[in-house]
Amino acid sequence: MKFMIIMKANKDTEAGVMPSEQALTQMGNFNEELVNAGIMLAGEGLHPSSKGARVKFSGGKPAVTDGPFSETKELIAGFWMWEVKSKEEAVEWAKRIPNPDGTDFEVEIRQVFAAEDFGAEFTPEAREQEERLRERIASKQ
Amino acid sequence: MRFMMLMIPKGYETAAPGTVPDAAAVAAMMKYNESLQKAGVLLALDGLHPPSTGARVTFPGGKPKVTDGPFAEAKEVLGGYWMIQVKSREEAIEWASRCPASENEIIEVRQVQEMSDFPPDVQEAAAGFAEMQMKSGHSPGA
Repeated sequence: MKFMIIMKANKDTEAGVMPSEQALTQMGNFNEELVNAGIMLAGEGLHPSSKGARVKFSGGKPAVTDGPFSETKELIAGFWMWEVKSKEEAVEWAKRIPNPDGTDFEVEIRQVFAAEDFGAEFTPEAREQEERLRERIASKQ
Repeated sequence: MRFMMLMIPKGYETAAPGTVPDAAAVAAMMKYNESLQKAGVLLALDGLHPPSTGARVTFPGGKPKVTDGPFAEAKEVLGGYWMIQVKSREEAIEWASRCPASENEIIEVRQVQEMSDFPPDVQEAAAGFAEMQMKSGHSPGA
């Protein structure tokens, strides 16, 4: 099962404050453990929302708003993608995320949809299209 | 430059476990996904199960505390994302604007941090991360 571990934003991530050397070292070690355990699929950090934008689709027309966005706690600062056997395993790993700077942070654990999660609405044609798409993305890398 | 297009569907914060998008919406989205892929900008994409099946971990006083979903206080949650490789922020916004999204959906466009965005001392402390991602079988952004 694939899970997305979403690192929520806080004042520091939104202000673009760099983590301490200690924090980076510990996070590096944690990431290495994830890789060694064979569960790490990806991990990325995002620039603060002040550099981002939102597109809304009310009335059928896209309307663009520039960042920053005020609901800091709802925003995303980065994520990991993990392949694990269960939600419990993902939670156990998440509990071990290092935080030497003692900053207030929260992660959200969400299962990623796989083709088998869909029922008959996901027609054979759509499944085939999806597979084709993923193969072509994979072959690009 | 890599950007994430974060899909935020209003109402998904209270969606029941097992909620899936309907066939017409999936078909329209697949056409859009294919257009991203044909343009050579699509790096990755995923959809997420509703938060009612998820969990949150906070660290009050340095100790992990687990809360199962749904999250009562959540005003908005992530429904899925695309990772794209484009030349500018404008191009990323342009792609987001073309999405066949419905009235209740918002797409947040956020630039992904690259190693070169960090100061030299941070780059040094994080050295080996790209290599680690390669080792895990995934290039950055995969």
